[in-house]
Amino acid sequence: MAGSRDRLVVAAALLAVVALVGVPLYRLAQTASEGGTGSISRVLHAPGFAGAAWHSLMLALVVPVIAVPLGAATALLLRRPDVPARRLLQVLVLAPLVVPQFVLGYSWTQAYSQAGFTDQLLGVHWAGLTGPVGVVVVLVVDAAPLSYLLTTAGLATRAQPDLERAARASGADGWTTLRTVTLPLLRPVLAAATVLTFVATLETFAVPQVLGAPGGFSTLTTRIYADLSLASDPASFVDAVTLALGLVVVAAVILAPADLVLGPRLRTTRSAQAGGAVRASRRDRRTIGAAALLAGYLLLAVGVPTLALVLASITRAVGVPATPGNWTLDNFRTALDGPTVDSIGHSLQLAVAAACALTLLGAVLAALERRRAGRALGSLVILTFAIPGSTLAVGLLIAYGRWLSGGLFLILLAYLAKLWALAHRTVSGAVDRVPPAEAQAARCSGAGPAAVLRTVWLPALAPALVVAWLLTFVTALHEVTMSSLLYSTGNETLAVAVLNSQQLGEVGTTAALSVVLTLLLVVGALPAWVLLRLLSRRRVGAPRLIAARVAHAR
Amino acid sequence: MTVRARLGVGICAVALVAASCSSNPSGSSTSELTLYTCASANVEQAVIKAYEGVHQDTKVNVFRAPTGQLNARVAGDLRSGGLRADVIWACDPLTMHGYDTQGLLADWTPADASGIPAAYRGPRFTGVDVLYMVAAVHNGTAPPAAWADLTKPAYRGAVALPDPTFAASALGTLGYLAAAPGYGLDFYKQLRSNGAKQVNSPDEVLTGVEQGRYRAGITLANTAYAGQKKGSPITIVWPQPGGVAIYAPIGITTRKNRASSAGEFASFVAGPAGQKIMAGAGTYVAMPGMGGPPLPAGRPVAEPDWPKLFGNYKSVLAGYAAVFGN
Amino acid sequence: MPADPVLRCQDLGVTYAGVRALSGVDLGVAANEVVALLGPSGSGKSTLLHAVAGIVAPSAGEIWLAGHRVADRRSSVPPERRAVGMVFQNFALWPHLCVLDTVAYPMRRAGRSRSAARAAAIELLDRLGIGYVADRRPAELSGGEQQRVGLARALARNARLYLLDEPTAHLDTHLREAFQAEVLARCVDTGAAAVYATHDAAEALRLADRVALIDGGRLVQFASPQTVYAEPVSETAAALTGPGSVLSATVRAAGPDRLGVDLGTGELTVLGGGAVPGAPRPARLLLRPDWVRPDWLGDDGPVPGRVAAVGFRGTHTDYHVDSPAGRVLIQHAGPPMRAVGDPVRWDIHRAWVLGPGDASAEGDDGAGLVQPVVDDVEV
Repeated sequence: MAGSRDRLVVAAALLAVVALVGVPLYRLAQTASEGGTGSISRVLHAPGFAGAAWHSLMLALVVPVIAVPLGAATALLLRRPDVPARRLLQVLVLAPLVVPQFVLGYSWTQAYSQAGFTDQLLGVHWAGLTGPVGVVVVLVVDAAPLSYLLTTAGLATRAQPDLERAARASGADGWTTLRTVTLPLLRPVLAAATVLTFVATLETFAVPQVLGAPGGFSTLTTRIYADLSLASDPASFVDAVTLALGLVVVAAVILAPADLVLGPRLRTTRSAQAGGAVRASRRDRRTIGAAALLAGYLLLAVGVPTLALVLASITRAVGVPATPGNWTLDNFRTALDGPTVDSIGHSLQLAVAAACALTLLGAVLAALERRRAGRALGSLVILTFAIPGSTLAVGLLIAYGRWLSGGLFLILLAYLAKLWALAHRTVSGAVDRVPPAEAQAARCSGAGPAAVLRTVWLPALAPALVVAWLLTFVTALHEVTMSSLLYSTGNETLAVAVLNSQQLGEVGTTAALSVVLTLLLVVGALPAWVLLRLLSRRRVGAPRLIAARVAHAR
Repeated sequence: MTVRARLGVGICAVALVAASCSSNPSGSSTSELTLYTCASANVEQAVIKAYEGVHQDTKVNVFRAPTGQLNARVAGDLRSGGLRADVIWACDPLTMHGYDTQGLLADWTPADASGIPAAYRGPRFTGVDVLYMVAAVHNGTAPPAAWADLTKPAYRGAVALPDPTFAASALGTLGYLAAAPGYGLDFYKQLRSNGAKQVNSPDEVLTGVEQGRYRAGITLANTAYAGQKKGSPITIVWPQPGGVAIYAPIGITTRKNRASSAGEFASFVAGPAGQKIMAGAGTYVAMPGMGGPPLPAGRPVAEPDWPKLFGNYKSVLAGYAAVFGN
Repeated sequence: MPADPVLRCQDLGVTYAGVRALSGVDLGVAANEVVALLGPSGSGKSTLLHAVAGIVAPSAGEIWLAGHRVADRRSSVPPERRAVGMVFQNFALWPHLCVLDTVAYPMRRAGRSRSAARAAAIELLDRLGIGYVADRRPAELSGGEQQRVGLARALARNARLYLLDEPTAHLDTHLREAFQAEVLARCVDTGAAAVYATHDAAEALRLADRVALIDGGRLVQFASPQTVYAEPVSETAAALTGPGSVLSATVRAAGPDRLGVDLGTGELTVLGGGAVPGAPRPARLLLRPDWVRPDWLGDDGPVPGRVAAVGFRGTHTDYHVDSPAGRVLIQHAGPPMRAVGDPVRWDIHRAWVLGPGDASAEGDDGAGLVQPVVDDVEV
């Protein structure tokens, strides 16, 4: 009985994978093959292809190597209760997450380029910003919060300070403990962060476009965009699709073996014995130093670009000094004019639906992955994450446009297909750390599967689920390419409004819209963040609330 | 184990939630018309509003996106049951020509377009508005009198130009200059050796020049004038042999059940009434004498040889890639 | 034994990922009965308990609870629909629930209101002497407290059958007996039965009405504590059930419950039985320490030997004595009376002849020592 229900879930998940990943990829492959093998060799031998491919791969390899340790180190630092201004830092670390990528690159130009904010103020600018180094730096800033969030969720799911204390008691110093106990315990989460950052960097477009182009730094994704611009010629369209599938192949070739070989080894099911809270030790100079370092990083990576962006949004024209005499709210008026308000509603609706569905889909996949039948599914869904949004949207349009074209549902499907991996990897990193005996104990206490889900799995996975929800919500909300390709009249998303203003070339308006969008995200994400904080604290500490209830029960 | 079974049940629940947010705005008895365009939102909206005011039984649905997205949507449509647009209003002739060679455009000429220059009129599409590629310089920089001046030492390392593989306007400019006497690809080679930077779009060029990151750049007249009007410290010039004109054409499609009003709508856009409204919305329309934002008198205008460019744009791009390729 | 035992396993087999963890187990447990599953780590004790609880499905055979078949090769009733309470080896307490809610959990699942469940949980915790931890979380409990919470949670199910997976492994020695008494009292209280997995022979013999010896996934012997101790079916069974020595000797039947035993120093007639041959013939002979007696004073014990090792155990002293028939373990009350190397003569009054089919006896030098099972903690 349990077995047949099991098979049903596997079948349902398989169906979802086929529908969201298999069919679109198949239709894209079909499209790519329209041109025969000639198109592949044409793409491979096009001038600049090798350079672009190398750039893409280089970025995808370098960015995770920097961003993941950066995010993890931040998470480990901010776990300490003795860090000065901890709360503020915790919020600021997440800031790049709520800034859409196309705004991020732009805000850095505003901040650090020649004639930018720092140049005007201090006469200092960074010439390397437009070029490979700048692209890497901004992508790292963009990706670090993901690793931070995943690590934080991993720590909250099963904080194991006792195990760390055991290491200290065994003669390990702080660094050795970190290296030999804390980090190995976090391996599944770090692996998830690395994989996601790798693929996200592989498919990133906005930052290389804004910062790479002036330095002559093209990537596969910028080439895809260029091909699409010329794609009223069918050959160019086929080229674009072929290139996008190339990204899928790269992702598959690198990730599938890693997933299959490394994945099961990283999974460590552990008993729930270790516990205890991270206690505030004496605040030492190193903690303060690290916190100061983090604050400095945040000031440069988040503070200054954000300030530059805000100033751009309230300045009446580009190139005039951002002095109060030149301040205006016109940009906000333009940004919020017309369909923008409606589109914010649509985007919110879509983002909430997508985040809920994705959290569930991610959890299902993370659970199924523990079984032989479901093992490959996780590697499959990451493939759609590797395709640039524009191409994936075309794949879904080709697959389902006949029935769903122009509706919000097709956009929702596109979000599900694109972001499934994001939700899945986030939850997967935490599932590893819930011992199966806890669920068995619940079953033996009379709990049915639904009750086990509610009373054991949900509380244990809550931090990871909240993070998955947040990540997918934020990403869906400021998603631009897919929805702008799939929308129709009456179904405009925020992206459509954003592109309106971008198309008009009004920098101030784009900046204003970004500020609005960021505020919107902060308002939307704040309750979830508070929830996450509460949950993680509840698992580590032990509020004495129950005592009162017990007294009452007596 | 069976824990996961229940998780699966949730999939269905979510599907329901998702389905409930898929709304369908259509359903009225009026006839509908679908327009695919990359025109500016305010221009396109003004025209549609006016058209719907006259033809109250027609509702115009718009899919508006940059050229790349527009191409992708069309390609997706073609592979999932056919094009779903009745009218296409592109941003450049080359894109329109691409649709035409795919057989997506029906024979159509505007009912009343005698005022539109002959160069913008074809058997299946007609130019309705025009973009001009001009030069913008940050105040304090000597404006170039001719495009060739940008290769002079005065502009060393200070010029930005848009990428023709991204922006059709840049491709039009490339097509024109590559064929212009005294220019050719050598002009781009000299730009390159003079330290010119290629960025993606004309808008990025403009922003860079406005900020002073670049002293001069090749960009679009309408956005440049708009920025200047707001106070950006730039000067706009029409260098010899001229600001390059890129016309934005409209045409009706060969969609199977094409809306009967398609031709009428396209004619409205190309006709005096539509042209006047577009001009009022701030664009340079194809038909002279319709008003619109002021342009300097006596400006030189250069018209690319589009039919020639339709045939050779790939080799032109390849030549360019050899100069500015990465 | 009533017609419907609380638990009946028939030819039960469990396979994990192609590996047979359990096969051919036949086991019946009556109401009010305490059955100890005794076996080394990895022998299949936990697997058997998990199969009975419904956590794993059998690959062969059947499981019956109170006259209802709950599992066979094709179908398995899920754990929550079996009237079984389980205490887990590694506590398996939920880190997010306080003790009170943990113990109230089964009663909440049974449909009781939150306040009623909590009140009952408090009562249960008090009865187990850990009412003071009600508002704590697992991370704040000692090992003994955690195990008691685990027991309380199982008892809260009000089941007909309790399954306890090495429940005392993590308890302080002085807590064990109180804990075990609670388990037994609970069974007597409600007429429920208990199946108790352990690798501690003394504990199994003391607590159980019957002991099931498990080794290599098979039920080796299922009988009363006295029987499994005195009459083990094999050398493995002998090793599992307590200390003792295995010597090679020539054995013959010498009347009812009498053996003629020759350890190389002439035949002795002793109490005993087992796989006794008709004619005198070499056999493997089990000698429990309490069947052997040293003769400190007279030096006239029939068997000579020399002390090879001495271990003081408090109430008694272990002497490992080398004799012509092999090394023998002799226990004697009081502190050590002899040092290593001293000669000692000894006598036997009971012996048990082990069956010839015992694989572990083959290729041996003819003598072996059954090591006492130590109270090591499985982690």
